[in-house]
Amino acid sequence: MGDLIHNLSIGFGVALSLQNLMYCFIGVLLGTLIGVLPGIGPLATIAMLLPVTFSLSPISALIMLAGIYYGAQYGGSTTSILVNLPGEASSVITCIDGYQMARQGRAGPALAIAALGSFFAGSVATVFIALFAPPLAEVALKFGPAEYFSLMILGLVGATVLAHGSLIKAIAMTLLGLLLGLIGTDVNSGVARFSFGLPELSDGIGFVIVAMGVFGFAEIITNLEQGESREVFVNKITGLMPSWKDLKSSSSAILRGTAIGSMLGILPGGGALLSSFAAYTLEKKIGDPSNFGKGEIRGVAAPESANNAGAQTSFIPLLTLGIPSNPVMALMIGAMMIQGIAPGPQVMTERPEMFWGMIASMWIGNLMLVILNLPLIGMWVKLLTVPYRLLYPSILLFICVGVYSLSNQPFDVMLAALFGLLGYVFVKLECEPAPLILGFILGPLMEENLRRAMLLSRGDATVFFTKPISGVLLGVAIALLLITLAPAVRNTREVAFQE
Amino acid sequence: MHIRNGRDFWAGLMFIGFGLGFMLVAQNYPMGSAVRMGPAYFPTVLGGLLAILGAVIVFRSFVSKLDNPFKVFTFRLPLLIGALVVGGATYFSDSLLKGAPLAEFALAGLALALFIGAFGPRAMFLILLAVVIFGYALKPLGLVLSTVLLIVSSALAGHDFRNKEIVILTVVLVLFGVLVFVKGLGLPFNLWPGE
Repeated sequence: MGDLIHNLSIGFGVALSLQNLMYCFIGVLLGTLIGVLPGIGPLATIAMLLPVTFSLSPISALIMLAGIYYGAQYGGSTTSILVNLPGEASSVITCIDGYQMARQGRAGPALAIAALGSFFAGSVATVFIALFAPPLAEVALKFGPAEYFSLMILGLVGATVLAHGSLIKAIAMTLLGLLLGLIGTDVNSGVARFSFGLPELSDGIGFVIVAMGVFGFAEIITNLEQGESREVFVNKITGLMPSWKDLKSSSSAILRGTAIGSMLGILPGGGALLSSFAAYTLEKKIGDPSNFGKGEIRGVAAPESANNAGAQTSFIPLLTLGIPSNPVMALMIGAMMIQGIAPGPQVMTERPEMFWGMIASMWIGNLMLVILNLPLIGMWVKLLTVPYRLLYPSILLFICVGVYSLSNQPFDVMLAALFGLLGYVFVKLECEPAPLILGFILGPLMEENLRRAMLLSRGDATVFFTKPISGVLLGVAIALLLITLAPAVRNTREVAFQE
Repeated sequence: MHIRNGRDFWAGLMFIGFGLGFMLVAQNYPMGSAVRMGPAYFPTVLGGLLAILGAVIVFRSFVSKLDNPFKVFTFRLPLLIGALVVGGATYFSDSLLKGAPLAEFALAGLALALFIGAFGPRAMFLILLAVVIFGYALKPLGLVLSTVLLIVSSALAGHDFRNKEIVILTVVLVLFGVLVFVKGLGLPFNLWPGE
């Protein structure tokens, strides 16, 4: 306990410096600003704003990126409630009841509850991270290559199981991502693989390029192809304050959502998406389900708290194991690497001020979100009325500048355009791109650990099962796959994703 | 037997193509052994798995309960043939054009443009073209002109193009770009040609 307080005080010392407070604020503000725009999820927002952080010190950059993430997440729920257009999968659930509330003229309370629930969940999750990250990092220090390999398998399986639609297509997308991740110079032999003699490819493809192409460009293209249709509730936001009855019925939902989100966020493949789905389902099971889908405030409170808690605790595997559990965390790893930090258990011991500073800034960021969002809601709403025909050229400019400034090479922009093409094909063929991004980040790491493990075991592949930790991780992965394939779960999974 | 699920059919073919492609190219590198894996080992295994999954997905598209049309994309055969011809020419003219990387780039760009134009909506062609033009124009033309190019050509991809709006948007974004990207964030872009 004394340790915890000591650590947190280091953290707040760092996070409360004027400079870092400012970056946290800018991050939250920018994140909300971009995240509010319909059709842009946290992933695209972070990737777009990544270049903004290049010139900062590593700790300020990470604080700002984390702020962008929460901001984008919260901005996304504002859009879900007001326009019924989720920025990404984790806000889909909020659309169901939030949009109905808005149609009944209760957008204000819905937004307020979402903000308060998110803040509460964020505070709990921050303490959760501070408590559980250190012991987990100690375990992680004992991990060898076999354990890391199995852990990554588990993470990838988790991501595929949670992807929308067909499981087999999600697995194929993961494999494709792993393969694309191998493009570039092989560290062991120095051979430039799959580079087709192009020097630009010998360093590999930047993950921002892939993410921007597959999510950013492809998104714009499909939106333009479909034409726009949205209905914004601008004039109907009168009172922000939820009634006493609202507060009473949502407070328990917020508690449950926070608990679920904090647990599920840690799981590989987990995070905001899984948490909000699970929390909504639980709320429907508890108490009177008749109002759900018709503007039930619990249906906003629970998933919003859960996705914020999950979004935060998904930092735990990243900070302790150095392994991203979802595409957003994959982006964070990329950002850390750009700053010259190798993510993993050593970060906590070698750079405690960075680790704890980031955790403290998470809480501050959440506080800023509440202070910022409730008064500024009118402004976000105005932003929503900007027509898409003006938005998408602006988004395009941001993405292009972001991609170009990675290494100041036109080739990167062309590559991103190619991935945009590929992303459009994925959309058309109903192939969910999230597992691809995760595979892309993990590809080289997995190969490296596989090689080392096989070298250490002298080519004995059973080592992955005979080492206890590794065996358990693989066992869980296999069980997860089998459960998903079981007919009963398969059906509920399809139903869950249709909702 | 007919294809019930067009989306799965094409997705399967795509995965088979990628899987076999990666396997094939990987054969240029040393394979190594399970103990000491060479650079070809992991991609060969993954590529093989991907191709197998692709085959399963293709098979599934024949027995699927879902009914998706076979035709998923707009398709223009002449443009695709053109893209393949130009692309092939680019690949084989590699040694000839060694001294002229610009010509090689132009050819590759043309092949890509034809390929993209061969299928997919008009919006995609225009958007991606706008993006690539921006990328290659930024250095020679400077941020101001390339932003104008990007905004105007991407706006053409939309449903209704309103002259006045686009002019205002362009001015705003150029100002924003200059103030935020260059002055604020210090990104190393020149503003005008030849600076």
